[in-house]
Amino acid sequence: MSTDHLQTNHFQTKHISVKRYLPDSSAEPYWQQYELPVDDSTSLLDALNHIKEQLDSTLSYRWSCRMAICGSCGVMVNGIPKLGCKTFLRDYEGEIRIEPLSHFPVQRDLVVDMEIFLEHLAAVKPYLIDDNPVKPYDPKAPETYQQSPEQLARYKQFANCINCGLCYSACPQFGLNPEFLGPAALTLAHRYNLDSRDHGTKQRMTELNRHEGVWSCTFVGFCSKVCPKHVDPAAAVNQSKVESAKHTLIALFKG
Amino acid sequence: MDKSTLQRLPPLKRTWWLKHRFFKLYMVREATVLPLVFFILCLLAGMISLLQGPDSWQGWVAFMGAPIVLLLNLLALIASLFHAATFFVLFPRVMPLRIAGRSLPDQAIVAGQWAGVLVVALLFLWLFGRA
Amino acid sequence: MQQRDFDIVIVGGGGAGLRAAIGAAEQAREQNTPQRIALLSKVYPMRSHTVAAEGGAAAVTSAEDTHQAHFDDTVSGGDWLVEQGVVDYFVHHAYQELVQMERWGCPWSRKEDGQVQVRRFGGMKTARTWFAADKTGFHMLHTLFQTSLKYPEIERFDEYFVLDLAVHEGAVIGVIALQVATGELTLLRAKAVVMATGGAGRLFRFNTNAGIVTGDGMAMAYRHGVALRDMEFVQYHPTGLPGSGILITEACRGEGGILLNKDGYRYLQDYGLGPETPLGKPENKYMELGPRDKLSQAFWQEQQAGRTGKFGDSDVVYLDLRHLGETYILERLPFICELAKSYINVDPVKEPIPIRPAVHYTMGGIETDPQCETSIAGLYAAGECASVGLHGANRLGSNSLTELLVFGRLAGEQASQRAAQTEWADSRLLEAQADLQQAALARLCDGEGSSESWVDLKHAMVQAMESGCGIYRTEESMQQALNTIRQLRARFNNIRVNDTSKVFNTELLECIELGYGLDIAEASCLGALERRESRGAHQRLDEGLQVRDDVNYLKHSQVFYRGDAHAELRWQDVDTRFSAPAERVYGDAAKGGKA
Repeated sequence: MSTDHLQTNHFQTKHISVKRYLPDSSAEPYWQQYELPVDDSTSLLDALNHIKEQLDSTLSYRWSCRMAICGSCGVMVNGIPKLGCKTFLRDYEGEIRIEPLSHFPVQRDLVVDMEIFLEHLAAVKPYLIDDNPVKPYDPKAPETYQQSPEQLARYKQFANCINCGLCYSACPQFGLNPEFLGPAALTLAHRYNLDSRDHGTKQRMTELNRHEGVWSCTFVGFCSKVCPKHVDPAAAVNQSKVESAKHTLIALFKG
Repeated sequence: MDKSTLQRLPPLKRTWWLKHRFFKLYMVREATVLPLVFFILCLLAGMISLLQGPDSWQGWVAFMGAPIVLLLNLLALIASLFHAATFFVLFPRVMPLRIAGRSLPDQAIVAGQWAGVLVVALLFLWLFGRA
Repeated sequence: MQQRDFDIVIVGGGGAGLRAAIGAAEQAREQNTPQRIALLSKVYPMRSHTVAAEGGAAAVTSAEDTHQAHFDDTVSGGDWLVEQGVVDYFVHHAYQELVQMERWGCPWSRKEDGQVQVRRFGGMKTARTWFAADKTGFHMLHTLFQTSLKYPEIERFDEYFVLDLAVHEGAVIGVIALQVATGELTLLRAKAVVMATGGAGRLFRFNTNAGIVTGDGMAMAYRHGVALRDMEFVQYHPTGLPGSGILITEACRGEGGILLNKDGYRYLQDYGLGPETPLGKPENKYMELGPRDKLSQAFWQEQQAGRTGKFGDSDVVYLDLRHLGETYILERLPFICELAKSYINVDPVKEPIPIRPAVHYTMGGIETDPQCETSIAGLYAAGECASVGLHGANRLGSNSLTELLVFGRLAGEQASQRAAQTEWADSRLLEAQADLQQAALARLCDGEGSSESWVDLKHAMVQAMESGCGIYRTEESMQQALNTIRQLRARFNNIRVNDTSKVFNTELLECIELGYGLDIAEASCLGALERRESRGAHQRLDEGLQVRDDVNYLKHSQVFYRGDAHAELRWQDVDTRFSAPAERVYGDAAKGGKA
């Protein structure tokens, strides 16, 4: 029993350039280059931690789980939004340029202000709505809803969003208009709309059906390309367009 | 929160789509509409000239035979096929089809759409081939 | 300096904190006392480490299962060092909490008939672990976070780093926090405070924990005189990825994965967990479904005997899933496949995963009574930061996700009830404590330059903890670790941060976290050193101390903070009202026995 053949440790030196922004010492961002040792397992997050601990303790960035589930460490790598912990320096030759996520205001260095993202999430009522359940929840005689594996499969993929914000940095429509609810929020709305236990579609439609809702999306589709969890937000948003159109038509005939 | 120190971003430039291959491809997809508009205008002109009588019709036929017009219409055909290809791939993601509770694989839906194109093309060939 | 008043302040936005916030909001509505609730977190709530929990949450579910069985598993799993009244409350409230989560939309995995599916887990007599594929913690955290958005009375303070509790005459009166984005202090006056700040796995070098799991809340309560209880019990999870320590869930074994040494032999049968169960037919409490402490200890023994393989610099054994088949693996364990492929380039469908034990969970924590209240009036604690007495000397996998629901809600409700009967303290008291914090911060950031590097101190701490308080411990190793930690605490006073910026100064935060960590590391080492027996996760190699000693040590350790002087240890009786201590056995040895 051996996995020796899987291991190759090629130590080498690489350079990464980080876009720095320190609001209390300079008004303009600037590029700073660091040289560091890497091997085949070095992630970009490992590299940033190395810089922080060994080279320059003033570099600021967010991170936590280092296993691609908490969604903290999104940055632009050579212009593409990526999770630092799931990006490996072995995959890059030549210059590696690290910037804060696009389309968000920068607080400092690689840290962006995510507030608008959270506002958009909250706007779509991302929770189960069942105002008149057949059987209300009773802690003394608790009973679950029924949901078949097929019903679960309909929304499961869209429930896998880790709120990292990469899709917002990939979305030119959000870049043009930050009021656009954006891929992750619309996907979350769709996740609940597809859930067989939920009856909140109607309430969410007022948000989705606005110009800044699903209709700002032009299906560029880059959001789905950069999604580290294969959630496919572009699919969710465009499925929502179909639902939104149906909803409007039905409302039209109902008067 | 005090936001005075936030680095505000300039709005996206009009050239944003030149920055990445993926965006360029998207713009090409969107631009396929331009040769198609030309084709539709040709078609419309043809119908009008048909109403106006044989002279006009002959003029239209001659116009359509001009090399530049042929080239533009060939471009429109390629553009429409390219658009169809991208659209067909996107379709199953927008309208996932389900049969008896199971979702149909994406490839099957894409293949089904091309089969539809083939059927329509054959139908037209049969119709006009007879004439 | 921003000042705000809230009825309840909750520190920590993970599973326990969010559940406490919702519990408090519901309780306030029920008792018709409108209350404002502040939820502070040093990260956005969905970044909290609950997100990384994989396997599942336990509750008695099937008709054949009983509360008594879950109780017995938990008590024996904790090697009788548990508060039995607390366990009894826990097993009776587990199911309703998981159903409540389902009612809030948690995407639990399902059976064909539409009922919630359960899976096997280590140390549990029967399958009772609810799961959402292998991302249970992720789905629970997001469900709780999203549900919390329904409650306008909950106001979130995202990326606020709590520096200190304000305590006056034995009662909590508020918290002092640093807004990370601006570096400004914020004072929150409160009638009740709930700590839900998570564990302290980052005290150790090799761990499965997120970078934020630094024991902040434990240290804050400890510095104000609350005992840290049972801190010597630190759980090693048997299956972490070599190099990073990233968690490979116990559910792999629950679904039928097996552990092999370098010779391809299922070595667990040699450690009282046998006989070998047939491939693909896992049996509860046998072999790979033994408890975590026993499995990690078996790894250590194999390593000593030279029967472990190598992956990079790490000694490893192998977790083999291949016989489960691609379809099943991808349905039940998709995240594991993603992690193994990304981080060590191994496809679990095709190859066994090299793994090794890694520090995973802090069984001990802030001592609370069975209602989650600490020795400071109005200060509650829940989740991994707390020691309510559920886990004893070893936690069973899938008990902690349920714990944060059951006790998160209870703490929230208790806080709400107290807040309804309490008045705010004079805000000048709070300001006085805030001034002290401001001075401490100013000292750290005085720009004088530092004779000590926080990086060196941090590395020395995690190294000392790993070599001194590992899977097996000796008197000498623990004494050495304790000495080192005490020296580091003294040296910490010389620390200064290089970065004097007010905005998002993560160096400053790391230094403060290191200070917290060193204080609780001392408590952990002291508890370990003074416990002269072997129990659960605390195993000594010293002659005569390799067995459990109920005569002298069927007791909780309590460590009290004494400022710059050495911490003080006391012993506390254990609640054994329902089940007298018995031998803790697994595999065939358990047949006919009580456990």
